[in-house]
Amino acid sequence: MSEQQNNSAATRPAAVIAARDLTKRYGKTSVVDAINFDIAKGEVFGLLGPNGAGKTTTILMMLGLTEISAGRVSVLGFDPARQPLQVKRRVGYLPDAVGFYDHLTAVENLAYAAKLMGLAMAERSRRIAAALTRVRLLDVAEKRVATFSRGMRQRLGLAEIIVKRAEIAILDEPTSGLDPQATIEFLDLIRELKAEGVTVLLSSHMLDQVQRVCDRVALFRAGKIAMMGSVAELSVQVLGAGFVVEVEADGAGIARRLAAIPGVGNVETLADDRFRMTADRDVRADAARAVVAANGALRRLSVDEPSLEAIYAHYFQATPSGGVRDAA
Amino acid sequence: MRALDVARLVATFGLAVPLAISSVHAAEPPHDIKGLYMMTDYPAVTVRPGTTSNISLRLQNYDLGPQRYKLSVEGVPSGWTATLLGGGQPVAAAMPAPDSSVPLQLRLDVPANASLAEQTLTVKAEGQGSEATLPIVVALAKELPAKLTVSSKLPELRGSPKSNFEYTLTIKNDSGRNLVASFAAAAPQNFETSFTEAYGTQELSSIPIDAGQSKDIKLKVRPPSAIDAGHFPVKVTVNAEDASAQTEVALDVAGQPQLQLSGRDGLLSARAVAAQQSTIPVVVTNSGTAPADNIELAATAPSGWKVTFQPAKIERLVPGKDTEVQALVTPSDKSLAGDYQLAMRATSRGETASSQFRVTVSTSTVWGMAGAGVIGVALLLMLGAVARFGRR
Amino acid sequence: MRREGSAFQGVGAVFVKELSDNISSVRMLMLELLIVLTAMAALYEAITALRQNTAEDPFLLLRLFTVSQAPLPSFVAVLGFLIPLMAIGLGFDLINSEHNRRTLSRILAQPIYRDALLLGKYLAGLATIAISLTALWLLVIGLGLIFLGVPPGGEEIARSLAFLVIAVFYAGVWLSLAMLLSIVFRSPATAALVALGVWLFLTVLWPMLAPAIAQAIVPPDPRFAALGLDTPGTVIWTQLLQRFSPNDLFGEAMLAVLSPTTRTLGPVFLDQIRGAVMGAPLPFGQSVMIAWPQTVGLIACTIVLFVAGYVLFQRQEVRA
Repeated sequence: MSEQQNNSAATRPAAVIAARDLTKRYGKTSVVDAINFDIAKGEVFGLLGPNGAGKTTTILMMLGLTEISAGRVSVLGFDPARQPLQVKRRVGYLPDAVGFYDHLTAVENLAYAAKLMGLAMAERSRRIAAALTRVRLLDVAEKRVATFSRGMRQRLGLAEIIVKRAEIAILDEPTSGLDPQATIEFLDLIRELKAEGVTVLLSSHMLDQVQRVCDRVALFRAGKIAMMGSVAELSVQVLGAGFVVEVEADGAGIARRLAAIPGVGNVETLADDRFRMTADRDVRADAARAVVAANGALRRLSVDEPSLEAIYAHYFQATPSGGVRDAA
Repeated sequence: MRALDVARLVATFGLAVPLAISSVHAAEPPHDIKGLYMMTDYPAVTVRPGTTSNISLRLQNYDLGPQRYKLSVEGVPSGWTATLLGGGQPVAAAMPAPDSSVPLQLRLDVPANASLAEQTLTVKAEGQGSEATLPIVVALAKELPAKLTVSSKLPELRGSPKSNFEYTLTIKNDSGRNLVASFAAAAPQNFETSFTEAYGTQELSSIPIDAGQSKDIKLKVRPPSAIDAGHFPVKVTVNAEDASAQTEVALDVAGQPQLQLSGRDGLLSARAVAAQQSTIPVVVTNSGTAPADNIELAATAPSGWKVTFQPAKIERLVPGKDTEVQALVTPSDKSLAGDYQLAMRATSRGETASSQFRVTVSTSTVWGMAGAGVIGVALLLMLGAVARFGRR
Repeated sequence: MRREGSAFQGVGAVFVKELSDNISSVRMLMLELLIVLTAMAALYEAITALRQNTAEDPFLLLRLFTVSQAPLPSFVAVLGFLIPLMAIGLGFDLINSEHNRRTLSRILAQPIYRDALLLGKYLAGLATIAISLTALWLLVIGLGLIFLGVPPGGEEIARSLAFLVIAVFYAGVWLSLAMLLSIVFRSPATAALVALGVWLFLTVLWPMLAPAIAQAIVPPDPRFAALGLDTPGTVIWTQLLQRFSPNDLFGEAMLAVLSPTTRTLGPVFLDQIRGAVMGAPLPFGQSVMIAWPQTVGLIACTIVLFVAGYVLFQRQEVRA
C-alpha cells in the first residue's frame, strides 16, 4: 500500500508534509501505526476516521507536541521532533474544540498568541485587525470571548492562524458542533485559505463536509491509514465506482442501452421501469440520451455523487473492526 | 615578782635620766657671771582675777658653793596667796648645786575681787653672803589671750600613692580656758585631706579642748593616685579665737606600678568564630610610677573556651610604657552566635588590672556553605530535569 | 535528542499575561483584601502596644512585625498563616484550568516550549505574591513612620528585606505545591481541596502531632518531668519533626531575622549560655546565618516541588 502512495506522492510537487512510518505508542498500544503520507503544497488534505483513530495524535506529532515513538515526519522541511519551534512558527493549529481565555477580548486573545509568535507590537495590531476582518469578527473584536458562540470561536481560531501567516493550517474537527450556517461560513474560509496557497490539513469525522473541500483524504482506521486518495479514487476503490445513477423511464431495452454507456459498471433493474447503475463519472447526460434513443419517456434521472459516507459505511461494513473505538 | 622588780628598776632609771641631763647642763662652758640669780622667762605676767596662775622660776647658782637659800615672796597684796612650789610641793628653801639651777613655781591665787592695779611681787632667796631677788610685775586683766600648740608625733610618713597617710596630731590648749580649736590642712593640689577623731571615723573640723588639756586628732591625707614619687609637705593650721598654731607634716610618696589592660586602641570588643582560634590584641599599660615585674596574664572565659596568651608573661614594664600581648581565643564549638563576656587579667605582685572583653562569636560558615550546597543540589536536580524533560 | 531553540522563548509574554491576569482577577483581590485587613488589624494592635511602651528599643520597626497583642497574632504570624492561602489561591488551577479551557494545545501550538508556559506562569504567580508582600512591607514601614515616628535604621531595613525575601520563598513552596497539584489533578476543585488539606494539616494539625510523635519516639523521662523540665530528647525530636512544616521553618527564620537577640533556634544547653551576654543583638550577618538553614529548607523545598511539577507537566500529554 505504501508503495502505491509513494508513487502517487512522487507525481506531486513539493510535499510540505511527509510522514514515513510515523508511529505513536502508549505502552504496547499503537495509536498511530507506521503511517506514510505526503501532502502537497496548496492542497486541502482530509484526515478521516472515527474518534480515536489516531488523527489528533498524528497532528500533535507533526507539531512536536507529543513524542514520536518511531518513524519520522517532516513539516516544511523541518523535523518537529528536533525543531518544533521552526515548525510551529510556520504552521497554524486549530485544535478540536478550541478554547480561549474567556475573560479576555478577541483582540487580547489574539494579541497574546501573537506575542508568543514573537511579533512586534505594530505588526501585531495590524495583522490582528486584518485577520479579524477576514473572519468577520471585527465588530466583536473588543468583546469578551465568553460571549462568543462556538462558530465565532472557531473563526477566532482561524484568525489566529491568519495572524501567524501560516503556510500550513491544521484544523482538528473544525466544524463539529457548528450549526449548518456556521459550517458553511467556515468551509468558505477554508476555501479562501486554499485560494491563498495555504496548505490545509483537516481532520474530521463529518464526512460530507470534508468531501466538499478536500482535495484528498486519508482514511484512518485503528491507527493506520486504510485508504488515501481523492474521494472519487476512493469510491472506485471501495465501491467499485464512484457515481450511482438512477433512471426511471420506460422504453425497450433501456437496461441494455444504459449498460452500453462507456464508464458504466453494472446496471441493476430495480423494477420494470427503474434502473440503478454505477459509473466512474456522472453519466446522466448519456443516460438521457440512451432513453431518448430507446424512444422511452424519462421520468426521473438522479445521480448520487461518490460519497465518503458511502465509502466509509461500505468500508467499515466490509471490514468490521472492534478495536478502533477502544483505542481512544 | 621578777617583772615587778624590773618595773621598779626602770622607774628608778627613769628618774635618774633627768638628773643625768641636769649634770650635763652643769658642764656648760664657764661663765663670766658668778653669783646667785632668781630667774624667770617672763618677769611681767598677766593673770585673771579669780584664777590660779603658775609662774615658772629658776634659782640659778653660778659658781657658788652649795648652800641653803631661804625663799620668800614679798609685796603680796592682801587677799592674794603666793606660794612657792618646788617639785609640786610648797617649799621654803632651795639648794642649787654649783652651776646648776633649781626649778621653782610661784603659784598665785588671785582673788576674784582683786583690784585691777598692777602689783609687784618680789621673790627673794637669801643665803649666807648671797641673795637673789626677782621682782615680778603682775598685771591683772579680765581675759588672757588664748594659746595653742600643735605637734605631730610622726610628722613624716612614707607610702605608695595608693596608701592612706595618717598623722596623729596633738593639740594642746596652753591657755587658761577651754577652747574650741578648728583645724585646716594646706596640701598640694588634688590631695585629699580629712580630720577624724583619734579613734574613730567621724570627720571633724573642730574640737573642744579644755584649758591646759591636749587632744589627739588624726589627719588623713590621700594623694592623687596618679602622683609621681616625691616629698609633699602638708601644713596644718589650728585656730582658736585669736590663737593659732602651725605644724608641718610630710608625705614621702614612693613609686608604684599601676597596670591597665585594654584592647588595642582601647577596644574592648572582639570577634571570634566558634571553634576557631582568633587573636585579640591586648595592650598592658603601666600607668604607675614604678616598673612592674613579672606580669602574668590570665582570663576567665565561658565554659569550653580556650584562652592563652602570647607571650604568657611580661618580664618588666617600665612606667609610662605599654606592651601588646596577643590573646589567642578559641570559643567552644558549641558557642552560640552573639556576644560573650571574657574577663582578662594582668597581675604583677599585688597589682592587678582586669578588663571585660565582649567577644562577638560568629558561627562557622561551614553550615552556610552546606546550605548553599543543598540549594545547589536542588538546582542541579532542576537542570537534570530540564535536560531530561525540557523543551517539549 | 536535542531540540533546537530556547526553552525560555515566550516566558516573558506568558509572564506578563499571567501577571496581569493575576493582578486583575477578583480572586486575587479577595485574597489581598483578606491579607491586608488581617495584617492591618495585627499592625494596629502592634502599634498600640508599642506606643504604650516607651522603652528605648533600637529595633522598634522590627517590633512592628513581631509584637502580638492578644487576641490577634503578630503580623508575621498572620502572614505565616495567610501566605500559603494566597499561594494556593494563585496556583491550584495554574495548569488544569488551561486544560479545562482547552487553551493548552492552542497556546503550545505557538512557537514556544511548554517549559516557557510553566515557568512563565509560575514566575507570574510568585511575582504577584512578591508584589503584594512588597506592598505590605511598604505599608508596615509607612505606618511605622507615621505612628511611631522613628525613621528605620539601615539594619532594620536590611532585616525587613530579609523577611521579604524569605516570605517570597515561603510562598514559593506553597505555589510549587499548588502548581504540582494543578498538574496532577485535572479538576481544579480537587487540586484546591488537596492543597488546602495539606495546608491545614501542616499549619494546624502537624504542630500538635509532632510532639505526640516525638513522645512516642523518646518517651519523656520522669526525672526531668519531676523538675518541671522537658526531656531533651523529646524536645529535639519535636523540633525536628515540626521542621517538616514550611510554616515552622518560616516562623523560625522570621524569629532569627526579626528578633536580633535570637542567638539560636535549637534547644540550648546551659554551658552554651554561660558567659553569654544575653539580650545583645546579633549582627545582621549572624542572624542571617541562624535563619539560613530554614531559608535553605524553604528554597530547596520550592525548587524540588517545582521540579516535580515540571517533570510531571513535561511528561503529560497535551491532549489527555
